[in-house]
Amino acid sequence: MASNSSTPHDASNGPDRATVCDRLRRVTDPELDRSIVELEYVDEIEIDGPRVTVRFTLPTAWCSPAFAWMMATEARDAVEALSNVETVEIVLQEHLHETEINRGVNERRSFEASFPDADGGIEDVRAQLDEKARVARQYDAIEALLGVGLEPARIVSLRRRDVECDKSAGVAAVELSDRGFTATAPIEPIESYLEKARETGVGTHPDDILFRTPEGEPIDPDDFELVHRRGRLAQVNMSGQGGICDALNESRRARFEGDD
Amino acid sequence: MYHHGSEEIFVIDSHVHLWDASEKNIIHEGGEQFIQCFYDYHTSFTPEELQWDIDEYRQYGSERMLEDLFGNAAADMAIFQPTYLTDFYDEGFNTTEQNAELAMDYPDRFVLNGTFDPRDGEEGLEYLEELDETYDLQGVKLYTAEWRGDSKGWRLDSEEAFRFLEKCAELGIENVHPHKGPTIRPLNRDAFDVKDVDDAASSFPDLNFVVEHVGLPRLDDFCWIAGQEPNVYGGLAVAAPFAQNRPGKFSEIMSELLWWLGEDRVLFGSDYALWNPDWLVEEVIEAELTPEDRAEYGVEWDLETKRKVMGENAAELYDIDIEAKKRAFRDDEITETFELADHYAGGEPAAAD
Repeated sequence: MASNSSTPHDASNGPDRATVCDRLRRVTDPELDRSIVELEYVDEIEIDGPRVTVRFTLPTAWCSPAFAWMMATEARDAVEALSNVETVEIVLQEHLHETEINRGVNERRSFEASFPDADGGIEDVRAQLDEKARVARQYDAIEALLGVGLEPARIVSLRRRDVECDKSAGVAAVELSDRGFTATAPIEPIESYLEKARETGVGTHPDDILFRTPEGEPIDPDDFELVHRRGRLAQVNMSGQGGICDALNESRRARFEGDD
Repeated sequence: MYHHGSEEIFVIDSHVHLWDASEKNIIHEGGEQFIQCFYDYHTSFTPEELQWDIDEYRQYGSERMLEDLFGNAAADMAIFQPTYLTDFYDEGFNTTEQNAELAMDYPDRFVLNGTFDPRDGEEGLEYLEELDETYDLQGVKLYTAEWRGDSKGWRLDSEEAFRFLEKCAELGIENVHPHKGPTIRPLNRDAFDVKDVDDAASSFPDLNFVVEHVGLPRLDDFCWIAGQEPNVYGGLAVAAPFAQNRPGKFSEIMSELLWWLGEDRVLFGSDYALWNPDWLVEEVIEAELTPEDRAEYGVEWDLETKRKVMGENAAELYDIDIEAKKRAFRDDEITETFELADHYAGGEPAAAD
């Protein structure tokens, strides 16, 4: 490792581990919509002054190269955004395509250039997964609003400007009607939804209808229950796939340990 | 039959293979990756003491298969679902012809499915007719993610695929089982897609589409489509072993399936030899939905539902008379081999009495 030289590097020269880790925490496995730190994909963070190396391993050697690519590029960009970081190297380990991915991500090639035989752009895949993540998060946001007494008819008519997140108070204020009454809901599910909604182009304008069907349309009040069930279904899908990844990961790590 | 308290549950394992991934049969690195990938799934969802070693996993043979399926009467019948992969394996991985060797010896115990690949064109249509003539097919297993030459897969809603589905309808091959689940190297975005089933199912209302692996990791797309298309079914292979080491998630997935599809359109399958029915059947039947899921979804994993999912739904699709089978199995060759006469004698009084 580069940082074990006899003269310890000056910490003020680069980021500390906690800051890097905090950055990586924002990177999600796009299929599961969960942090790569929480999922324990990150093996090692090496810091040598302003140079950072992140090593990570996925649950299998054959995990989707497209997903691996998304996580690797996002990790690179997230750490690189720190002002005291000059270079970031991402090292995907134990993967069938680690050579193409590591070279592509660190040399800033495009996915298409790194995988000439891939059919379809990575942006489309990303957009589909982001949309599913939005629908899953919408379920929790709507549950929170139902929990503080909002009526379905009001929930489907909410616009972006009707919801205000107050971080210091830890609540989201929601306009109940045009008459100025507000309800306060737990901030976490609302904020989490707004973040993913923004990434999918929903709620970027104050007049935008906030909650949508999985197809991106405003919700007909008569379909409220059905659309809400689809949000739950999106969650169960992610959690089910998470169960597969998690079990594969567990048995793979056990095998690595057995091999040592 | 599974003895659930004093009740019997007739089990049709709707998804089994007899494969050959021996090293001498592998002709492409994809073949080795494929079996290793299967083995990862096997070890991840099989209790440690019941895991196979990789060598027996590559090629287990007919005798072992019979023992695993019927030895402890975990399954009463099984449906072969072929997976050709002829670009990866010299003789194919698990072809209809390979499966036929066992299926033809025990025709009362096995249903033998065929397959088609629309990329084979006219020749493929002829092959399908030939398979039907030889084996009188009732179903086909389709592997849309299969590599063939430069192609990395095909779609069920393509014009070419529709010609084959028309042929199925014409030949009376009513059950279509597309694999919509995990793939080996899903570079292709189509591999994420279950949506091609939608168009095919509404265009061929007389065919039944059993989506294997319930679309995981696209359970949401699958359930939404199945909710609208009454001829779409869900095959539980891959979801079933969650019962063993992810019971909470099994409960959620099963609740969703029962909510969106109802109890008549879900079929049990072990995916043998991915997982072994000799322990899996018990895990699934003894599984319970959590009280929270039962309250939220208003569905039950009760005796009636279990009977349907574990056997009756497959029997309905494949015209299997369960009562007649029970009588026949009192003294067939399998029953004699595994000394199951007492097992099949129980339950109902003998017809001659």
